[in-house]
Amino acid sequence: MTAFPAVLLPLPVAIPLVVCAAMLATAHLLPGRVPDILATLAALGVAILSAFIAAHAADGPLVYWFGGWEPRDGVHLGIGFSVDEASGWVAAFIGLLYALTFVFAWGFFGRTHGHFQILMLLFLAAMVGFCFTRDMFNLFVWFEVMSVAAFALTAYHLEESALSGAINFTVINSLAGFLMLGGIGLIYAQTGTLDFEGIAAAVARGGRDPVVAGAFCLVAAALMIKGAIVPFQFWLADAHAVAPSPVSVIFSGSMVSLGLFGLAKVSAVVFAGSDQVQHGLPVLLTALGSFTALLGGWMALLQRHLKRMLAFSTISHAGIMLTGIGALSADGTGGMLVYVVGHGLVKGALFMVAGILLATRASIDEIALRGLGRGIGPAGIAMAIAGLLLCGLPIGVLDQGTRGVQGALAQQGHGIALAAGAIGAALTGAAVLRAAGRIFLGLGPDSGDEAGAPSEDEREKANRPLWLMLAPCCALLVLDVGLPAHLIEHALPRAASAFMHRPAVDTVAEGPGWLPWMSVLAALAGAAYGLLRDRLPAFVVRSVGATQSAPTRALEALHSGLIGDYAAWLAVGVAIIVAMLALA
Amino acid sequence: MLPYAVAAWLFGIGLYGIATSRNFIHLVGCLGVCQSATYVLLLGLGYRWGSIAPIFYDHPPGTPAVDPVMQALVLTDIVVGATLTALLLVLTIQAYKRGGSLDPEKLRPMRAGSKSGRGQGSSRGKDEERTAP
Amino acid sequence: MSPRARVALLALAALILLPGAASVIAGLPPFGATIARYGERINAITPEARHVANMVSAINFDLRGLDTLGEEFMLLAAITGTVILLRGRRGEGKTGRAMRRPGRAVIPRSEAVVLACRIAGPLTALFGLYVVLHATVTPGGGFQGGVILASGTLLIYLGEGYVGWRDAVRSPWLDALEGGGALLFALCGLAPMLTGAAFMQNVLPLGTFRDPFSGGLMLVENLGVAMAVAGGFTQLFLEFMEETREADEPDEPGEESA
Repeated sequence: MTAFPAVLLPLPVAIPLVVCAAMLATAHLLPGRVPDILATLAALGVAILSAFIAAHAADGPLVYWFGGWEPRDGVHLGIGFSVDEASGWVAAFIGLLYALTFVFAWGFFGRTHGHFQILMLLFLAAMVGFCFTRDMFNLFVWFEVMSVAAFALTAYHLEESALSGAINFTVINSLAGFLMLGGIGLIYAQTGTLDFEGIAAAVARGGRDPVVAGAFCLVAAALMIKGAIVPFQFWLADAHAVAPSPVSVIFSGSMVSLGLFGLAKVSAVVFAGSDQVQHGLPVLLTALGSFTALLGGWMALLQRHLKRMLAFSTISHAGIMLTGIGALSADGTGGMLVYVVGHGLVKGALFMVAGILLATRASIDEIALRGLGRGIGPAGIAMAIAGLLLCGLPIGVLDQGTRGVQGALAQQGHGIALAAGAIGAALTGAAVLRAAGRIFLGLGPDSGDEAGAPSEDEREKANRPLWLMLAPCCALLVLDVGLPAHLIEHALPRAASAFMHRPAVDTVAEGPGWLPWMSVLAALAGAAYGLLRDRLPAFVVRSVGATQSAPTRALEALHSGLIGDYAAWLAVGVAIIVAMLALA
Repeated sequence: MLPYAVAAWLFGIGLYGIATSRNFIHLVGCLGVCQSATYVLLLGLGYRWGSIAPIFYDHPPGTPAVDPVMQALVLTDIVVGATLTALLLVLTIQAYKRGGSLDPEKLRPMRAGSKSGRGQGSSRGKDEERTAP
Repeated sequence: MSPRARVALLALAALILLPGAASVIAGLPPFGATIARYGERINAITPEARHVANMVSAINFDLRGLDTLGEEFMLLAAITGTVILLRGRRGEGKTGRAMRRPGRAVIPRSEAVVLACRIAGPLTALFGLYVVLHATVTPGGGFQGGVILASGTLLIYLGEGYVGWRDAVRSPWLDALEGGGALLFALCGLAPMLTGAAFMQNVLPLGTFRDPFSGGLMLVENLGVAMAVAGGFTQLFLEFMEETREADEPDEPGEESA
């Protein structure tokens, strides 16, 4: 008989599953808006339960063994859930994000008997299971359930571009699943168990072992594919941009971050005892993370399709999160966990704004939308605030995360990663601010090139009231800005240490205070350049243009949309990880 | 060590097939080959010479048996594979109906139908060149 | 990138990956030498603890039941996705005309085929049920039996034609079967919690070793899985079969195009 708070642990996973199955069984009988209501209530229930669990996990992780199979004689027989404070709060955030997304998507998917809500609830259950579990194969199962639900949700629009985006997404993420399964098989063969603690103990006992390193490479590659790190990032822009807006909110808001969350957990908990892994990780993660941050930011600036731009911005921020993990300290990982929540809130709000534009103005192209945002001012304000938050405005949850990550990197002397992260954030913020200025203020050169729009005629369901779409967006931003900073500061050192299974630290380091302001200024300058280019002296424009054209062309050519290219780069990426670990 | 080498080979050749595929159905098959690599690896890791299957109906409990955990894992893996194949084939059907072609090289996301070459417009450096009427 | 560039990239990757794979293979325990401690322990304790003979079923439905729950819902997600994707274009109407390919002869169904299907169909269904029910004593179970049952319904199409198929196989029933099976499995997890046990703990009487009715809660879960898999795969076949019909009106565009 398990103690009280721990006995709640299966519920945040079981409730969405039961509601999902019940909705499917009665699919043809449920009237009108009942699926929306049920789904929203289920998501809220998950959020509240997870928050309750997280609050009770402050003293130590809550553990639950499924089927009553407690470990005997040191052999872990069943599957366990082990929820530390940080994992619980991340799950609560995910539940809340889903609830707001269901409100945003109210009435969006009218024709399909609640199938959208069924898939989203399953997605939610898988994410919560992914956060809570302490079993490697269970982690894989939730990873795959997330992936399959995401595949089905991506192709909803059924346009040609949606289909190829969905196919690319499906193939690459399936390969990720296979890699993860291979890694799990290898680590099971070497250690004889599937439980995190069991594997960690066995890894620590063994010495330098190529099989353990190989298993880590495969699992890390799989999680980095999900987390859209270079060179695995190609699928994200394609999939993201073509998925319906409510689904994009979830993808960028939580799915990508969860891949990195998983990587942090696995490297800190399971492979903590392997010196080879711990020596190889900082260089690998900070290098890949920096590169990803820069590439994502650069590509974001080049996009005119709003959702694709936001997708590249997610890639950039994923790179920043990866550098946070690479610091291998409670500060860095703690900062990254806060960053996951903050980035999810802000990016979710931005995708909702994109959805609002698509529904009310029937276009998602930045140039075609020029000036058309004038009737929906609140959305513009939301977009501007979100853009400023993205580039590092020093208020709110996202900024706290950034400061944590930057503090950890500064402490360990990773100057390049620090700079790359700041530049990446500045670039993405510039892209969003430029788009906001063009759409809502009508600034920017009048190109008149609708024929150059890269996507087909897009529109989403237009007959929802504006306030219904705007309210969740504003709620997300209010949460990000309004969450009291001292609550997080107080809990973070303890939570981050518990997450990494290390002794508690007292405080987390903070980065240089001037760095976020530099990012904000750089972002404003970049946005201003984009919008006011025709009023600047010619030599400025020419010199800036000259530096960009060759790398820009190269980057655009690489993002070709062809699955064959992506598969080749996947192999290269795995090779990079193997090489870096072999050298450690 | 032969089964493990076979698993590595299967994954490699499947990945090569995906990278050079000219037909979506062929691509789905190559993904299946990659998946078979995981089956071979897992079942090979779970095997023991001279052991029976982990079903004690004809043999008394306590007879050496192979690893049942690996077999359960592979069962889950098979279901995963079936679901992925079904979804991919459905996407392929729809792609064929919409685009008329089964060639991955011809089906590109985010490309306007009439444009040739690169589709993603860049609004920072290239607006004027591309759009002057 | 040209195909040659891709192959070059793959070759570059192989340069690093092949030595890596070789060192991993060399580091693994020799093939067939030993099995992991987890598996060993399960083989040792489960026949006594749960009175079942099939260790794999015990793992799937008891020791690691949560994995199977997740996998079950993954199947549900994939089938739901398939239904959305195919039906979203096609709409929900049925049509009696099959698509005709130019240049291919249409051969009427022969009586031998009809007879063979009428004999084989019930036999397949019976065999599928047998496989489902003997989960704990033979290498059978809900997944395996469910797929056999689903493929048995294809014999209805072969023997009776499209009209017979559509009369026998109806989408709302399949949805109910699939959802009901998944719901049953999920409730098998929650119900023990009401009696104070853990999630999916085996609280039913365990029965006799080597008897088909052994394993307690495992049998209920097994039934849930069988229902869900049979319903799900038949739904899949239904959707794919509908793709071969001639559409009465042109395919509708996706949900959101106005």
